[in-house]
Amino acid sequence: MSMELATASLRLGLVELSWTFVFQLINTFILFLILKKFLFGPVTTFMQNREAEIKEQIAVAQRLEEEANQLKADYEAKLQTAEDEGKEIVKKHTLRAENRAFEIVKAAETEVDAMKSNAHRELERERIKAVNELKDQISELTIMAASRVVEKDLNEADHRELINKFINEVGEVQWQN
Amino acid sequence: MGVDGFGPRVAFYIGNIAVTETVTVTWFIMFLLLVFSVAVTRNMKKEASGLQLVVEQIVGMINNLTKQNMGEKNIAFAPYVGTLLLLIGISNIIGLFGFRPPTADLNTTMCLSITTFVLTQFFGMKSKGLGGYGKGFLEPIPFLLPLNIIGELANPISLGFRLFGNITAGVIIMTLLYGALGAFTDTLLGLTVPLLQAGVPAVLHIYFDLFAGLLQSFIFTMLTMVFISGAME
Repeated sequence: MSMELATASLRLGLVELSWTFVFQLINTFILFLILKKFLFGPVTTFMQNREAEIKEQIAVAQRLEEEANQLKADYEAKLQTAEDEGKEIVKKHTLRAENRAFEIVKAAETEVDAMKSNAHRELERERIKAVNELKDQISELTIMAASRVVEKDLNEADHRELINKFINEVGEVQWQN
Repeated sequence: MGVDGFGPRVAFYIGNIAVTETVTVTWFIMFLLLVFSVAVTRNMKKEASGLQLVVEQIVGMINNLTKQNMGEKNIAFAPYVGTLLLLIGISNIIGLFGFRPPTADLNTTMCLSITTFVLTQFFGMKSKGLGGYGKGFLEPIPFLLPLNIIGELANPISLGFRLFGNITAGVIIMTLLYGALGAFTDTLLGLTVPLLQAGVPAVLHIYFDLFAGLLQSFIFTMLTMVFISGAME
């Protein structure tokens, strides 16, 4: 125990070159190899690889973005074309529908006109017929009434005279209306 | 060699060779870094989190530091720069955990600074060629050759002694402070438990171990980069 203590407390000089120099030379060289192989080599390589990978990923992302922008522009152009075409179609059909409606209305108007003139003609015919009938009936009635009034006193000749006188008094014009 | 003083203790002997606590603490630091490196890099995920983030920050910082000071082409020096920064940094602040910092030993600091010196001369010759390298010592005028050589040799010495001096000063001052505080509690307060040793040295620990320690590790690393890249240009 005392021997060990004596050894442990033994000191070399403070400013003194010794075998320690050789030990430290070897130690430094070994430490250099250790750090180069196990620390600087792997870590530097790793960081360089990661940097390269990130650069590549950024490049890929940029390329994809450009492609996406290109596609977007294409689709927008296509969409615009489709919209224009749609408008064109709607316009064409609207025009056709308008023309058709106009034709229909015109045809209807023509028909209505024809029907109206037909109706007028019919009405006129009916009126004339009615007037004639009325004329006949009136003259008949007059004769009947007159014969009742003058049953005994009047003969055929007197009748005629009376009727003619009556008709003349009323006037031709009034019968026509 | 003796029992007194502030030199590193001898941990054990291999034959006649004394293995000091400087070496054993360095082994401990190496072991920690090995375990840390292996554990962290074993399964790294793309979305970094936790410890992986810290390691990525450290490695990224050292890589950037190397790039900034030595240029993009010298990025291969990053592991050496990182080794210096981590070894010196951890050595300097390991005093906080009661170990003797390995950098408080001239052998460690001179070993590191001479390594830097050798690398500086080697890469200087390699990039300029032997003629260009030799011509560098004759500039601006050949008359200054001796001064240039002295200046070049002074670099590793100043580099090693700066780090050694700073950290050793911290160790000595802290040792003296602990001794003084222990003596104070014993003589002034009459307590056998050195109560004053608790709390009071914390401020000095923060300065000597954390602040000076990290600063010196940074200075050593920066100067290494400046020397090597300067010799290559």
